[in-house]
Amino acid sequence: MKYSLIVPVAADKPEYNETLPYVFGLDEEGVVICIRAIMGMDTSCFDNIYFTILRKHDAKYCLSEMLQMQFGRLGLSQAKVVVLDAPTSSQPETIYQTIRKEHIEGAIFIKDSDCYFTCEPRPQNGVAIYPLEELSMVDPRNKSYVAVDDMFYVTNIIEKRVVSRYFNAGGYCFESSDEFCRYYERLHNLGHLYLSHIIYAMLLDKREFRPIRVKEYKDWGTMHLYKMDLINLYK
Amino acid sequence: MDIEVKGHSGCDISVVREQNVLYVYKSTYDPKYVARLLKQASKQQEASTVEYQHIRVPKIFDVSSDEHRATIKMQYIYSKNFVEYFEQSGFEQIDYLIHAIEYFVEKELAQSPVQRVPQEVFIEKFEDVRHKTLCKPEMADDARVKELLERSAELFGSLGDWEIPVGVCHGDLTFSNILFNGNNYFLIDFLDSYVETPLQDIVKIRQDTCYCWSPLMYQHPYDSVRLQIIFDKIDSEVDTYFATRYEWYRRFYKPMQLMNLLRILPYATERRIIEYLKTIISQLLNEI
Repeated sequence: MKYSLIVPVAADKPEYNETLPYVFGLDEEGVVICIRAIMGMDTSCFDNIYFTILRKHDAKYCLSEMLQMQFGRLGLSQAKVVVLDAPTSSQPETIYQTIRKEHIEGAIFIKDSDCYFTCEPRPQNGVAIYPLEELSMVDPRNKSYVAVDDMFYVTNIIEKRVVSRYFNAGGYCFESSDEFCRYYERLHNLGHLYLSHIIYAMLLDKREFRPIRVKEYKDWGTMHLYKMDLINLYK
Repeated sequence: MDIEVKGHSGCDISVVREQNVLYVYKSTYDPKYVARLLKQASKQQEASTVEYQHIRVPKIFDVSSDEHRATIKMQYIYSKNFVEYFEQSGFEQIDYLIHAIEYFVEKELAQSPVQRVPQEVFIEKFEDVRHKTLCKPEMADDARVKELLERSAELFGSLGDWEIPVGVCHGDLTFSNILFNGNNYFLIDFLDSYVETPLQDIVKIRQDTCYCWSPLMYQHPYDSVRLQIIFDKIDSEVDTYFATRYEWYRRFYKPMQLMNLLRILPYATERRIIEYLKTIISQLLNEI
């Protein structure tokens, strides 16, 4: 079965018209931050890696060329840049358009570009989790929370409501890109959609999700948090 | 400390601590509502004698009344409302709730044999609703309302006698009348109905799950996408469950739902609610 990694980096904010989104900046080793975000995982298990960006950001900041150079430097031969012509309304839509545009089949692992963790990414339905109490600094409002039962099955996932000691660490795995697309098509008209909504709808239909327990989690949710992480590194 | 809140029915609700135990007092001071509240209390008392597994009914400890007022003293339930409950429920809790609803209605059905109900009962009820609706000037001047009422009159006149289960029902089984306490669901605000049929309870549940009614009245922010996902799931499971088992459900669910939505129309005051009702009534008429 094919297994692809998708990194959506197509968020559109007014300030990005004037300022490079910080996830396209370089870290202290000269690696682009959104690429650093996947380097805690064994990338060799993915047949393809897609970084999805916006045409207008690409045109303004030459992102494709920069990312291609980094892929070469880091030996990510299976990585590719996907350019969307127009902003999407949600992260699930960015994933959906990436799947359709690239005809992606098999399992997909979706990795947020604004955080880092290490894990073994297996091609089965799963959600990356990390315990809240292991973070020294946290904004609980910008996270989704994942309830897990005794046998380590996910029973609930919800945006911005602390229902569990585990929060979603910014990684999601769907064993079928087709199934992901079917759920997206069913739900996209309901309002502002999160990946957690798609997972919850699948849970209600008795699809199993396992927690993916990640390590070395770093939350770079904003430029400020990214800089704080660097400061901690050099302390 | 006593806590006073306003109930959905316009009754006064007080939460009172007596000898370290909390009680709910539900009272009406409207002489016209006294008989109705007493009927509801007796319905609740009767329901509380039946075991419904996860579905429960708060115990009534005392009923007092005279011609001007009536008060019911009942058990206080520590609980969440439906939005708080659904926002925090895992998939397995939603599954329990679906089975609890099916089980509850099945228990009601066991006490409600299928009977022939003359179509005049429904025509009379509809005429009463039509009269009440057209008494409101904003409705009487609304061409769309008049058109929907005309189409409904034609429909109720064409259905013949209804063969539906008759016996017991809650009467107003929307999610706003359920208190959620873990996997126990306490039913409140029983209502007397023009036909005591379990079909009415399915209709009321689906008023929420199919038409998202109770959230329209909810005042606080909530995750509307998640709630819709849950409602869609419950709606499809409940509909499939009864549609695959009962001819009376397949034949009379939609007309009963139409009557239910029409009954709300004369009481609707907010423009957005009136417009919403007109839209869903029209949709339903197109489906029948």
